[in-house]
Amino acid sequence: MPDRPTALELIEAVIEFLSTEVLPAATDHRAKFRTLVALNALGIAYRELAASNTVLLSDDEAAALARRIRAGDVREGDRELLKEHVAAKLRISNPAYLERYE
Amino acid sequence: MSAAVPWADELETRLGRRVTSMQLLPGGASKEAWAVDADGERVLVRRALAGVIHEATLSLENEFQVLEAAAEAGVKVPRPVAYLGELGGREAFAMELVEGETIGRRIVRNPPPGLETQLADELAKIHAIPPDRLPFLRSGDVLERFEHELDSVGEPHPALEYGLWWLREHRPEPLADVVSHGDFRLGNIVVSGRGLEYVLDWEFAHLSDPREDVAWPIVRAWRFGNDDRRLGGIGEVGLYLERYEELTGRTIHEGDLDWWEVLGNVKWGTGCLTQSRRHLNGQDRSVEYAVLGRMAAEMEYELLDLIDRA
Repeated sequence: MPDRPTALELIEAVIEFLSTEVLPAATDHRAKFRTLVALNALGIAYRELAASNTVLLSDDEAAALARRIRAGDVREGDRELLKEHVAAKLRISNPAYLERYE
Repeated sequence: MSAAVPWADELETRLGRRVTSMQLLPGGASKEAWAVDADGERVLVRRALAGVIHEATLSLENEFQVLEAAAEAGVKVPRPVAYLGELGGREAFAMELVEGETIGRRIVRNPPPGLETQLADELAKIHAIPPDRLPFLRSGDVLERFEHELDSVGEPHPALEYGLWWLREHRPEPLADVVSHGDFRLGNIVVSGRGLEYVLDWEFAHLSDPREDVAWPIVRAWRFGNDDRRLGGIGEVGLYLERYEELTGRTIHEGDLDWWEVLGNVKWGTGCLTQSRRHLNGQDRSVEYAVLGRMAAEMEYELLDLIDRA
């Protein structure tokens, strides 16, 4: 085990730095926008590393499913499974987005 | 002249005017944009960046020709000034430098009255451009195009595959191809308090079923958070379609757009993935491109939800 801070704690530290020091100092729209994008990217990495967030389908399973659907073999329950699969990705990339469907 | 810009002399020669200042504007993703003072007139020089040729993107020469054709057809566009050939080894053209609001999030907060019908006005004029005026524009099967793009990503996306499958199963009767803008939505139009001022970004122009353009601004991503207003986060689809019919004679019902809305989500979801690859493969390193790879899931969820409700 490496020394602390852990990967999550390091990401947190950079998030704090960007939001409390870099973002308020950004003068033009472009710099502000890019800082927000960077914060968003770190937020995604943070949620992915937090143990509770996992994807539903492994790469192999997703690849097999993609091939089967491309071949036109769509089965009962595929759409429900895919919705769960995509929702799991969104809980990492943008949890607030899912709330727009509630 | 700005000695710092090595192709400044070339620019003066091609424009045939004295250039007194030039400034690189922030924000160009696939192209540079320079604000240039040429004999007292403010022009915008769009210049290619190295190695970002997306397969469906027009060359700057062709983009300039589309801009000229649109101006002739009375579409509200920045006045085309000149195609400049290569400046410092990269293609460029000059057009009028315009001002106004392009940021979608700001426009949806306070849209100018009448924007719905103004969008239809411009689209009707674009779709009336004679295709033989622009012989280099490409058509082709839209679903094959996105299958091909998705294959180029090299990562499995079963939800996008599901969208493509559903689109193949429910394909509508086609309408005859028209000249399409290819990216007609908030973000690519300039708005002022008076309403729609200019239509920008013609690099994705192609020939297609008119409904591809008509439905593109209703895709949820282009509502900029204002989900309840189906048309671009600014208004109702009904007025827009009525006006479009009045001007073009094409009757499109709101329900006819459902298929194209699913297609729009496949299109932007795939677009996010291909753009993130520009970062990942080192072509164009940028945190903005990088995060787009994670944004594709939003379009995947939306298309599955649309199909649920279809």
